[in-house]
Amino acid sequence: MKDYVRLTGVAASEGIAIGPAFAYVPGDLKPERENISEDVVGEELESFRNAVKAVVRKLSETADGLRESGGEGEAGIFDAHVEMAEDPELHSGVEERVRDLQSPEAAVISVGEEFAEMFAATEDEYLSARAEDVRDVAYQIAAEIMGGEDAGIEMLDKPSVVLARNLAPSDTVNIPKGMALGFVIAEGSRTSHVSIMARSMGLPAVVGVGRALEEALAAEVVALDGAEGYAVVDPDPATISSFEEKQKNIAAEAALLKEYKHGQVRTREGRRIEVVANIGSAQEAEGALERGAEGVGLFRTEFLFMERPELPTEEEQYEAYRKVVKSFGEKPVIIRTLDVGGDKDLPGVDQPEEENPFLGWRGIRMSLDTPELFKPQLRAILRAATHGNLKIMFPMVVDADELRAAKKVLEECRRELENEGSRFNEVEIGVMVETPAAAICAADIAPEVSFFSIGTNDLIQYTLAADRGNERLRRLQSADHPAVLSLIGRTCEAAREAGIWVGVCGEAAGEPAMVPKLIELGVTELSMSAPAIPRVKKIISGL
Amino acid sequence: MPEREATIGPEEGLHARPAAQFVKEAKRFASEVVVIKGGREANAKSPLKVMALGAKQGDRVTIRAEGEDAEEAVDSLTDLISAKQ
Repeated sequence: MKDYVRLTGVAASEGIAIGPAFAYVPGDLKPERENISEDVVGEELESFRNAVKAVVRKLSETADGLRESGGEGEAGIFDAHVEMAEDPELHSGVEERVRDLQSPEAAVISVGEEFAEMFAATEDEYLSARAEDVRDVAYQIAAEIMGGEDAGIEMLDKPSVVLARNLAPSDTVNIPKGMALGFVIAEGSRTSHVSIMARSMGLPAVVGVGRALEEALAAEVVALDGAEGYAVVDPDPATISSFEEKQKNIAAEAALLKEYKHGQVRTREGRRIEVVANIGSAQEAEGALERGAEGVGLFRTEFLFMERPELPTEEEQYEAYRKVVKSFGEKPVIIRTLDVGGDKDLPGVDQPEEENPFLGWRGIRMSLDTPELFKPQLRAILRAATHGNLKIMFPMVVDADELRAAKKVLEECRRELENEGSRFNEVEIGVMVETPAAAICAADIAPEVSFFSIGTNDLIQYTLAADRGNERLRRLQSADHPAVLSLIGRTCEAAREAGIWVGVCGEAAGEPAMVPKLIELGVTELSMSAPAIPRVKKIISGL
Repeated sequence: MPEREATIGPEEGLHARPAAQFVKEAKRFASEVVVIKGGREANAKSPLKVMALGAKQGDRVTIRAEGEDAEEAVDSLTDLISAKQ
């Protein structure tokens, strides 16, 4: 087998590309002269101003061209570059240096660099990414002053995978149409321009692969997977065919998505099944909508609480919930209150060392004991409910008493908000059925809630006494076991009696073999990770 | 010299589109206008300087102007900067 190099980076834009490699290595732009003599200062100032005008004209033409072809988002990038090129502080900085006898090309590069460093130092992802814009603009002005030729990306004449240290927007638009199959870039992040442009052009991209790119510059062929975030240099035939296979699958998925993205699905008997998404952060909302989610069946809130020095404020939580609810409009979004146990650290909460965190102080147990944790979350949820169709559900409930205790705290929060005159909205309340106890007590709980959501992953682990993470117990990690199915059936039965609906938000909801069984038992909502949605919609329509 | 404090309203902070709108508005006035955040001053007519302040939603900034239309500039810019959208 042939050795090949694998480059790992940030998954910046989905898709598979296989093709000849085109290494784009622009020569470092060096000022022709560092200094000038006093008698040409006036002339050099003039040449700087003319260069700015020429660059502004080019940038505006590019923006207009993009706008005409419907690329409003990309056009905005060039509008911002025009403003940078015309910036009065950039001009005064350059002019001052030229009066001090620095050459205009050296002056504009160093003033641009100063601004770039200011941006990079802000520790703000968006602004740091703007450092490359300022550099791009400054270099274009410097190149214009020196009258140099472009470095040659417009010479690309056969469809290729473009490898480069970085690509400025001015580079990306210079690539002849159809000649880029994908991008492998050493620098950058998901918010870099090359990433944004790649996504809007629908081309796969892996960015931030670092110095490893140098080993790939002499490559003949490159294969890249933009969803996984890696590229393979000079792949062997087996790797090529596995990439081709992935490409085919993606095309098939895309066709499926097109067919089932919009609209609701029914079984042949006419039973309406809602297909919704599990999400773990506000950023995942968009991807879920794109894949045809009819709402969110499980919005995990743990991300807000993890890896940080202190607990999130009510305001911070409100913002995060509001964002998600708003992006789903009228569609339902079910927020699950915090479900953390001793297996994960929570800032500011004194968690005991536990031998069995999955059987420990977690979920609703912890929330009820820690009002300073629970109440800000409930208040944030009630307030965010004014922006859409929000529901709440409690994790790890084992009986109706726990539910009542949680509802009491919710009622307290509601009263507080009312007294403070804050805007809030009523929310429907549900319980996660993920302990055998909740399933067994379902008939007691059902009359007091609006829905059940069965968390099959935990329900399996607790029912079959089989650790989810134990590889040797694979056989006991499926919902297709008589004990688990019986508890699901029991839950559905109790729900029917009480006139409420039942959803499933564990992995079983997205498993093709389980979907018909769950529906048969009476489940009417299936919540899964977004990529599974189109496939499940197809299965349901065929039942 | 007229000056006023304001709290940054837009979700993105004084970045991107809000920064561009702010600078555009500042350029309508003949006065010299500065935005001050944490002791750092930025020329309000320079998008680069304004963005480099890194002002986020909820940050307090001061707008100060000098010139014939200074009062109007300060009022109009503080209103713009504190509006949510």
